[in-house]
Amino acid sequence: MNDLIVLNIWQFSAVYLLLILVLLVMKRCKISQSKLLVIGSIRMTVQLVLAGFVLTYIFENPHPLFVIGYISAMMAMSIHTVLSRNKGINNRFKLIIAVSLVGTGVTITLFFILGVVGVSFFNPQYTIPISGMIMGNAMTGVSLGLKTFTENIKVEQSKISTLINMGATPKRILIPFVNKAIETALLPTLNSMLGMGIISLPGMMTGQILAGTLPITAILYQIAIMVAITTVTCLAVFCSLYFGYRTLYNSQNQITVE
Amino acid sequence: MALFSIKNVNFKNIVKYKDFEIKENKATFIKGKSGAGKSTLLKLLNAALTADSGKILYNNKALESYDTITLRREVMLVSQNVFLFDETIEDNFKEFYNYREQPLPSYDKIKEYLEICLALFSSSVNCRELSGGERQRVFLAISLSLNPKVLMLDEPTSALDEKTSGELMGNIKNHCKENNITLIVITHDSLLAEKYADEIISLDSEDDDE
Repeated sequence: MNDLIVLNIWQFSAVYLLLILVLLVMKRCKISQSKLLVIGSIRMTVQLVLAGFVLTYIFENPHPLFVIGYISAMMAMSIHTVLSRNKGINNRFKLIIAVSLVGTGVTITLFFILGVVGVSFFNPQYTIPISGMIMGNAMTGVSLGLKTFTENIKVEQSKISTLINMGATPKRILIPFVNKAIETALLPTLNSMLGMGIISLPGMMTGQILAGTLPITAILYQIAIMVAITTVTCLAVFCSLYFGYRTLYNSQNQITVE
Repeated sequence: MALFSIKNVNFKNIVKYKDFEIKENKATFIKGKSGAGKSTLLKLLNAALTADSGKILYNNKALESYDTITLRREVMLVSQNVFLFDETIEDNFKEFYNYREQPLPSYDKIKEYLEICLALFSSSVNCRELSGGERQRVFLAISLSLNPKVLMLDEPTSALDEKTSGELMGNIKNHCKENNITLIVITHDSLLAEKYADEIISLDSEDDDE
């Protein structure tokens, strides 16, 4: 196996030149997000450098508390991200989303680390990156599902109030919105499965191969993580919406969307 | 006998209603200026909204003591914003009956209701292609077929010409009389109100009457 070429800091900096191309396209197409691009690039760099240092420290001094601390921080961040992207949700709904993300994320991570890989949950080298991938995908899924759900409800106000006036139960009215949103949230993950290995060699697999892992081992990990990601996305979105939609109506069967 | 009694009802400090009653098995027409709270009143009566203070009695019992789903099936509100699925008329009947978890009436029955509401359009036409007034009548037929005890119509003739308005109102009033359905109608059309109302209630206070 070849050893990985360690990136030289000057060579590495060259990659930022590519962002100039992005900026040019943005200017040309009058996309007023250049500020976001700059902030995004800077934040990404700073956050990843910090993560690099923290992970190096944790790997050299493994301790269960570090693993738990790191995972808790990831969970908190993913909850914060979902909620900040979806404003105007009532507090009970927010709590349900937080519990769903943490509950499904922890369960699937535990299953993966203990059941599939078979190492200790407190082994930072496995638990931290794996739970990161799992939480990241759960977060994207829930965010998309929630957005679809709340936007569709807003658009279909007249359908909803008509059905309320007709004496349909809120459950009957809202469940189709829940189902549709779960479907929408799952589609990107399902579609990405189709292209795997042909159109794209996914990130984790690429990383392992670059680091010198045998492709066949990398593939097994990739398949396992894809299944885990699909499951966690499905479960997190399902729990968030299936329990969350009940917070949208009161004992008088009045549906209120803030 | 009073079917509804409204006492000191206040909604979000925007509308304060004077006290009045709505009688059973009569056609009551409600008039008032824009912003007088006409549409809000109907939503309070079927518990789609809740009053902030005051009492609404239905059959001499506080409205809050009813199960709201049962209440809305009994006291049906046909609002001004008509919603229909982008499907044929018959499929719209199916959709709404499905939401109500009730078996679909026979084809002849459906036709009967469409006839009452002057909505006998081609069975293959998609409701998306109907005009505003046509959609209103199709929706009215569906609501009527669900056989409520109280039918509340919010501006049912706003999109119709004078002749069709009169004919439609006449048909609905007859149907309600024959089937002991209490009719509550909001309308701007004072001629229509004078012709078909058993009672007219104005929500405007006396001093700002038109």
